[in-house]
Amino acid sequence: MNMFIHELKANGKSILIWSCALSCVAILFLSFFSSFYESADAFQSLLEGFPPFVLKAFGINAEILTSFVGFYAFIFLYVVLCGTIQAMNLGTAAISKETTRKTADFILTKPVSRKQILTAKLLSVLASLLITDVVFFLTAFVMERIMNNGKTYYKEFILITASLVCIQLFFMVLGFLVSVLARKIKSVISVSLSTVFGFFIVKMIGDALDEEKLQYLTPFSYFDSNTILRRGGYEVRFVIISIVFIILALVAGYIIYTRKDIHAA
Amino acid sequence: MNVFIREIKANLKSLFFWSIGVLAVIAGGMGKYAGFESSGQDIGAMFSQFPKELLAIFGVGNLDLSTAAGFYGVIYIYLLIMAGIHAAMLGANILAKEERDKTSEFLFVKPISRQGIITAKVMAGLVNVLLFNILSLLMSIGIAAKTAAEENLNGDILMLMAGMLFFQLIFLFIGTAMAALSPKPRAAASGAAGLLLGSYLIYALIQVSGKLDGLKYLSPFKYFEAEIIMASKSLDVFFIVLSLAISGICLAMTYARYTRKDLSV
Repeated sequence: MNMFIHELKANGKSILIWSCALSCVAILFLSFFSSFYESADAFQSLLEGFPPFVLKAFGINAEILTSFVGFYAFIFLYVVLCGTIQAMNLGTAAISKETTRKTADFILTKPVSRKQILTAKLLSVLASLLITDVVFFLTAFVMERIMNNGKTYYKEFILITASLVCIQLFFMVLGFLVSVLARKIKSVISVSLSTVFGFFIVKMIGDALDEEKLQYLTPFSYFDSNTILRRGGYEVRFVIISIVFIILALVAGYIIYTRKDIHAA
Repeated sequence: MNVFIREIKANLKSLFFWSIGVLAVIAGGMGKYAGFESSGQDIGAMFSQFPKELLAIFGVGNLDLSTAAGFYGVIYIYLLIMAGIHAAMLGANILAKEERDKTSEFLFVKPISRQGIITAKVMAGLVNVLLFNILSLLMSIGIAAKTAAEENLNGDILMLMAGMLFFQLIFLFIGTAMAALSPKPRAAASGAAGLLLGSYLIYALIQVSGKLDGLKYLSPFKYFEAEIIMASKSLDVFFIVLSLAISGICLAMTYARYTRKDLSV
């Protein structure tokens, strides 16, 4: 319990900065809903020209796509970008900072098992992410109340926001695995920034070039907000892949860390 | 001179991995073009139906995707992102690493002035950035020759890479300036990362909103946009001067502050 609270306090400033960042993204991007709505009107009239079965075949529901939730899904990718950098940063730093700050021999000689240390640290990272996500959700919800003049699709709104947590979990565990495998990570932000942007670029290129296979290579596509909007839910195959990865990575990380030689220097 | 050689050697591995990333992005993007071209689909017609904002968010915008140049233009922004991360992290870490790794006491008592050390490190940074640029250039030309032989992209590629070089300089020196200004070594890389992420989000905001043209001066991603450069067949001199100005100011700040800085041992 001590470790959990200590880690939470140590990450306090980071949580504050990221919460502000995500909230700013929400406020700045969502404030342009009105201009989106205007051009969306034109788009909607274009879609109305198509016979309904064509729209169904493509899964295009014009009404929901041009509503506030549609715009929310549209810009949500950038929220996820920020959130995942935070997640991977915290996940990687949690373990590797003991080595870089030379506090490894302090904590490892305490009468707690290595497993307990890992659990406390990971739970504390999860708590940090959830705090940020709740702050973001509240900000986004306030923006929705202010900017929305049409129908509110609560279920889709919550599903999309929850996907942030899922993708953050994925990157947090990825960062955890990386930090457990590496001997000493001198610059955590370099690793997390590069990795997250790497996956981000794969998603953007995959989407722009309409390449389905690339969807499997990047967690951003597992919970793509536009797909969630279209289907009204998550895609089962990707949820399964995520769960499998998270469990395997956690188990592997725990096993490796408990047996590993930790360098205090 | 030794400092310069040591820094070059130390950063070679990172450059190697980054070039693999660049290769993957260029090959992936242009490979898809080769696929489209052989299947004979009219992609241009396909994309013209989508609303402008949707296209802009994928970086397609006004690019003509039925040409190889259009495809290259789409992946250009992602090359910029990678170049930016590489340059920013390089710049921040190359100076901050001495304090981070506790090697300041060793290096700064050697019979070489602080300015001399900064110069050597900055030179090494420049060489790295230049190598990244040249590698990207050669890979682009090579892959374009294989996948889009009938169009001569070389002129466009050369100009885009020149633009990328100025872009890299901006972030390289933002990195070194952050290292000179931050009391804690880790804050340097985080700060540089934050500025890079911020620039990208401002770029995304401008693309999504379709307005805010005034904000374009705040984001180097807007200084060098593929569709503008390829359409006008030239780089905007104003932005080149602006890039050099920002780089120059940051470089001056680096020298001014780092020579007077109390280095943490």
